[in-house]
Amino acid sequence: MGALITKNFENTQNIAYNILICGIGGQGVVLAGKIISLAAFKNGFDIKTSEVHGMSQRGGSVSSHIRFGGKIFSPLIPKNKASVILSFDIYETLRYISEFANDKTIIISSDYGKMSSWISKNKNDKIKKTAAGIADIAGFLTNNFKRFHLINDKKMAADLGNIKVSNIIPIGLLSNYTDIAVEQWLKAIEENVPEKTVDLNLKAFLAGRKEAGDKK
Amino acid sequence: MALNPYCNFQKAGSFNSKVLLTGNEAIALGAYKAGVYLATGYPGTPSSEILPYLAKFNSSIVNWSINEKTALEIAIGASIGYKRSMFTTKHVGLNVASDPLMTFALTGVRGGLVIITADDPGMHSSQNEQDNRFYAKFAKIPMLEPSDSLECFNFTIKAFDISEKFDTPVIIRTSTRISHSRSIVSLPENLTDGSCGTAAASSSKLQLQPYKKDIEKFVMVPVYARKRHKLSIERLKLLSDYSNNSGINKIEYNSPDFGIIASGVSYQYALEIAPFASFLKLSFSFPVPDVLIKEFVGNVKNVIVIEELEPFIQNEISLLGINNIKGKEYFPRDGELNPDSVKKGLFEAGFLKQSSNMSENLSFVYKNGGAEMPLRDNGKILETPQRLPALCSGCPHSSVFYALKKLRVPVMGDIGCYTLGALPPLGAMDSCISMGLAFGAAQGLSLTKSSPKKTAGIMGDSTFFHSGIASLIDAKYNNAIFTAIILDNSTTAMTGGQGHPGTGKNLSLNSTASNKIDIKKIVEAIGIDEIYTIDPYDYNETFDALKKALNSEKLNVVITNRPCVLYPEKINSGKKFKVLGSCIGCDLCMQIGCPSIFLSPDSANAPSRPFIDDSCAGCSICRDICIFNFIEEIKS
Repeated sequence: MGALITKNFENTQNIAYNILICGIGGQGVVLAGKIISLAAFKNGFDIKTSEVHGMSQRGGSVSSHIRFGGKIFSPLIPKNKASVILSFDIYETLRYISEFANDKTIIISSDYGKMSSWISKNKNDKIKKTAAGIADIAGFLTNNFKRFHLINDKKMAADLGNIKVSNIIPIGLLSNYTDIAVEQWLKAIEENVPEKTVDLNLKAFLAGRKEAGDKK
Repeated sequence: MALNPYCNFQKAGSFNSKVLLTGNEAIALGAYKAGVYLATGYPGTPSSEILPYLAKFNSSIVNWSINEKTALEIAIGASIGYKRSMFTTKHVGLNVASDPLMTFALTGVRGGLVIITADDPGMHSSQNEQDNRFYAKFAKIPMLEPSDSLECFNFTIKAFDISEKFDTPVIIRTSTRISHSRSIVSLPENLTDGSCGTAAASSSKLQLQPYKKDIEKFVMVPVYARKRHKLSIERLKLLSDYSNNSGINKIEYNSPDFGIIASGVSYQYALEIAPFASFLKLSFSFPVPDVLIKEFVGNVKNVIVIEELEPFIQNEISLLGINNIKGKEYFPRDGELNPDSVKKGLFEAGFLKQSSNMSENLSFVYKNGGAEMPLRDNGKILETPQRLPALCSGCPHSSVFYALKKLRVPVMGDIGCYTLGALPPLGAMDSCISMGLAFGAAQGLSLTKSSPKKTAGIMGDSTFFHSGIASLIDAKYNNAIFTAIILDNSTTAMTGGQGHPGTGKNLSLNSTASNKIDIKKIVEAIGIDEIYTIDPYDYNETFDALKKALNSEKLNVVITNRPCVLYPEKINSGKKFKVLGSCIGCDLCMQIGCPSIFLSPDSANAPSRPFIDDSCAGCSICRDICIFNFIEEIKS
């Protein structure tokens, strides 16, 4: 499989493309989900998405399921059926791969990882320090996934002029794996970001789009 | 003024007159199309987005109410005034509104009245996972269960018609996966043309009608209520006919051997996993369509019911005298279903043969007796950090809980963001049961004298209005002794920052002006004279006030006065704090649970020390708590 979505739309009638977006509260998981689903929708696919609100906005782990194709029933991605896992936090990448990845899953992950806060030194407290380091996780993902993209989205966004657009960069990378026309992506971004930041967000998308390299 | 969403659909979001909407947005759109005159509710996940979306159409009166009971009562009044009205709530909110519901179910309606109850299987943001389908049966009123956004839209329109046709309130029951999932809604043509920029093209046939009394219908004293109860029983028969014959419940015959009866999101999971099966899809799930069920069971050899939470449909089918129907034997009675639990159940029930991808074994996932082990790489364990939900950086509630933890008093708690004060490391709240419980429970607990310390009760401003006022009056009336703490952050924060009587703001753009109600004046009016108003960003003042209040042998009230850092708008204090290099790493500041304070990794020659990252909101609570003065503001 080259592109995630075949050129021939008819061939996709019975296939669901499953994109799992993950991160932590406040990183823009919901916004990214909106942009990706709108782009797929405008391209004519049937689509369902699902996200959990509520406690998640308080710094917890957040995920958004996006499924599109010929005809979609379940709004949730079945176990180990993610075509793509797009993650804004490398610890969250690690959290979701066991449940949703398979050997062919494309992993697009930020190299940023927010540590768990309020870890206590007190042995009686239940919250313990995590053992994994970011480099260890990146190494593990490289060894296990042929199409693993580790991106320094924060730095790229800072170079573009505003760290806030870092969540658009992985979407640009993801777009290479779809047959969704570039114009649909750009429109979807334009409609979902504040008017003043449209140009910067589009730049971030295009910068991400250049990042696929030869793994595609 | 916000643009009517129809204009936005035309401008942008629509694709060949289709739009991508959440279930909640689709319900709002359906209510708009049905010409709803008035919509009320109290915020509660996953129902909270319906009213704000409806308000954007600027065509109906849309208001948050003080609580669910009042919200439904306002909607009932509008129905008595011949107008279509809607009430939205989360599942537990319908408990609060159940008093008017149970008797309004007898009187019936004038203008159509639709109740949206959004259940939360899996308890993503709830204190229980009750199955509100039982309310339809309890009240003898019809219920619709949409399975995607298009059905949310269509069923809402239909529900108003059913309400008026059968003279009954109608329940639409969604769940988190319906309310918060997006799918495609095809717009009816007559609404995509020409309605942009103008008030709603109301399809309600109900014109302004002069008010008339009808005490036999609306005054439920025994002599009239007895008659109305008989009518509501007769109504069930008519509703049952509708359930069978209106075409809303559908049979699709495929396999002669395997049949599935399902409603709501369970139907979608079943279609995904077993498309070969025959289906009886229940959209109008109370009263169940007895004729269709008998036909389906007669024509298909093995029939199974797939439903989330309680065996509601399964029990209804048993009552028809059909006893060989399976269901909860294969599917859990708690939590959400998902494609995989449906697959597992169907496999165990013999509907599916074991397939190779039944349990996809990944090369990197080590299993141990079925339980998944942490991922390993070259012997190294790769552990993911635990992320408990936490109060935000700069949350004004943090310092109050930190002080309560130090004061070691029993704390009866309540429902809101501050429920997180019960979790480590704050761990300073001892109960979370129902909205407004805290002051009642504090009175009861204090009467037991089971703790030598004075009891505290704690709730937020929105919760105080919701149901705390009554229990505070009761406390004064019955001469109770405890300290009532009201965390006033000037919003309903947990559900996304909705207005309430203390904010003086509401949803309707033009139709009503809201008034602001002063919490302190309410407390004074009750006759409580020991009131402390404190700024929770000043930790020392907060601690001293709480200590004094909790040492005073009287009923007293502590009110905090810092607004939420997120709602209604993000507050940027412009300040940042840092931990000095001289810090000895005592861990005190970590005990606030602030998401901006981290522990740096141990290194060979230095103890691990906390540091504050750039997400610091500048509240200064940690500076006050560090007794060694190792935290100070960064001066630029």
